[in-house]
Amino acid sequence: MEQPIRLLLAKIGLDTHTIGITVLAKELRDRGIEVIFSGLKQTPEQVVRAALQEDVDVIGVSCLSGGHMTHLKVLAEQMRALGIDDRILIVGGVVPEEDVEPLKTIGVDRVFTMGANMDDIAAYLRSAVAAA
Amino acid sequence: MAKHESKVVEELQPNSDLLWKTQYYEPAIADSGERKTSFKTQSLRWEIKPVYTQNDLDEIGFDPASDLGMPGTYPFTRETKPAGYRADLWAMTQVSGFGCAEDSAKRWEYMVNQGLDSIIIEYDLPTTNGYDSDNPLCRGEVGRAGMALDTLQDMEEALNFPLEKLKNITSVCNAPQPVNLAMLIKALQKKGKKLEDIRLMMPNTILVEYTCVGRYIYPPKHGLRLACDVIEYCMKHHPNWMPLNVVGAQIYAARGNPVQEIAYSFAMARAYIDELLARGHKIDDVAPMVSFITGIDMDFFEAIGKLRAYRKVWARLMKEMYGATADEALKLRLMSSPGTMSMALQQPLNNIARLGIEMLACAIGGGAHTINTPLYDEAHALPSEEAITIGANIHHIVAHESGVADTIDPLAGSYYVEYMTKRLEDAVFEEMAKIDAMGGALGAIEAGYFQSQLAEEQIAMNTDFHSGERKFVGVNYLVKEDEKREIEIFRHDEAAEQRQIERLSRVKAQRDNSAVEKVLEKVREAARGSTNMVEPMLEAVELYATHGELCDAMRDVFGEHDPNALTPTL
Repeated sequence: MEQPIRLLLAKIGLDTHTIGITVLAKELRDRGIEVIFSGLKQTPEQVVRAALQEDVDVIGVSCLSGGHMTHLKVLAEQMRALGIDDRILIVGGVVPEEDVEPLKTIGVDRVFTMGANMDDIAAYLRSAVAAA
Repeated sequence: MAKHESKVVEELQPNSDLLWKTQYYEPAIADSGERKTSFKTQSLRWEIKPVYTQNDLDEIGFDPASDLGMPGTYPFTRETKPAGYRADLWAMTQVSGFGCAEDSAKRWEYMVNQGLDSIIIEYDLPTTNGYDSDNPLCRGEVGRAGMALDTLQDMEEALNFPLEKLKNITSVCNAPQPVNLAMLIKALQKKGKKLEDIRLMMPNTILVEYTCVGRYIYPPKHGLRLACDVIEYCMKHHPNWMPLNVVGAQIYAARGNPVQEIAYSFAMARAYIDELLARGHKIDDVAPMVSFITGIDMDFFEAIGKLRAYRKVWARLMKEMYGATADEALKLRLMSSPGTMSMALQQPLNNIARLGIEMLACAIGGGAHTINTPLYDEAHALPSEEAITIGANIHHIVAHESGVADTIDPLAGSYYVEYMTKRLEDAVFEEMAKIDAMGGALGAIEAGYFQSQLAEEQIAMNTDFHSGERKFVGVNYLVKEDEKREIEIFRHDEAAEQRQIERLSRVKAQRDNSAVEKVLEKVREAARGSTNMVEPMLEAVELYATHGELCDAMRDVFGEHDPNALTPTL
């Protein structure tokens, strides 16, 4: 039987907007994905350690404060340092269009902004994890 | 196949509703039905009938004499001010504040020159969570979601613009409110502004933070104490200020429906009130200190019913439960704000239309001394200057071109509006009784009740959007394929963080550090006892003790709140 995809949803820093991940967690669980929540107010280091410990396929970072570039840079470095940069890294929240390419350069695989379709996210996760 | 009777509806009394339904309405839809299989209000999902009549009002026991009154009279359903917006229009404001103090001052000067007379100061996350800018936890967040504030010097520079045009300052800094209040007082004094010439409004709404926003520091009972210290200080020294704005708009933004928003807000207000009564104050003195901020969404009639029910339920609560008698205690003080959650990222110029409709509902629903507009690019990033100008103009278009501000509560007596208002009122009382049974707002927060109820609404609303039950133009309906986001976006200055950290270390190098150490101990001592915490803060900020140091001094005594209490359903 096919193993379900394991996803760590993370909030980094002081941003505590939780509506996006609350809805996402429910919708993705309904679509058969195993969702683990990092807890609030985490450092990138804590998130990467949790990802390693939980052996997830995907790390999903939700950021609505605008601090995504700073957090993701550190997070991607940490993923490389711990040798888990093969895992899929996605970002959601308030991310301006012109930040999408720089995020990808850092190592983010895909950015979903507000209003993203849940089916699209789930479909993306399946194909990305299958290809990884 | 529909055979219309030629009878005039008026001749069909007393059962005209029923006859109309069977003889006119049902035949009219018999062939092809209606646009939707069911019509529901947007947030509460209450079924909407095709038409409302006196029968609906009779059914819910509506009595114009006791349910309405007149503008300025109990129960204030029609308006708290006897002359509504005919005497004074609402104060017009917008959210702002970002970067270092001097960036904020420049932006506020621009806003004041656009004709706005009130500003709202939003601080960055390090500030609202009680840290200095050089704290490693704050990387990437300094000056981002609002203004960075470390010392009194920052506040002085933030107010470096023509203050004479300003009537109101709202300062949003809930968990560290006593520190923030002290900085505002000292900075205004240093700028030579007479404290009685300005109205300072502080949300001071820590219980909302524990429920759905998350910018808390200390455990709830200590948070409540600090909030009440701020209220008590203002009651004594600045009775015209507004030291408690329960931000229902945040409950709305967390997808709370109108019943939840009003019931949770009032339950929270009661926690502060009960604490102040326990300190020996009287309800007629305490209640006028409390005000509310509401978020107004797109359903026009839910919005108008909500504004009217807000006023009425408050008046009844104060009179029936607390025995308040002073008019000022019975009158709800409200700031309304078109809803940030109805602003779409897609086709953002559509948001101007949404703001117009919501502003219209705010003006017709009445009761607000101040109306705040979010901006049409809200969903993208922090607002651009163009969006600020248009936001200000929407106020003026509604106020001066639409005519809705020229008569008071113009929709009173509308069957649907009165039905909606009364149903909301009944539902709010029912929800408040439920919260009471949990031990009030503190009990409900500690049990995770508010948080989990809101999570359910978040999921349900997402389902409504996903299924298309609720249409959102440009988002799930009339979607423009391959949309390019061509919109002016305000860019955060990445160097601001470093500049702010350097400012902080300069101030620390120049101050009397041993005096700071002493005053921090004084703060700890006050925290351990029952001294009003604003008093030692006034002394401390003048010595340039930093925001983070003062919050840490209280952390030493109070401890910290568990950051995951906010997400019981994750």
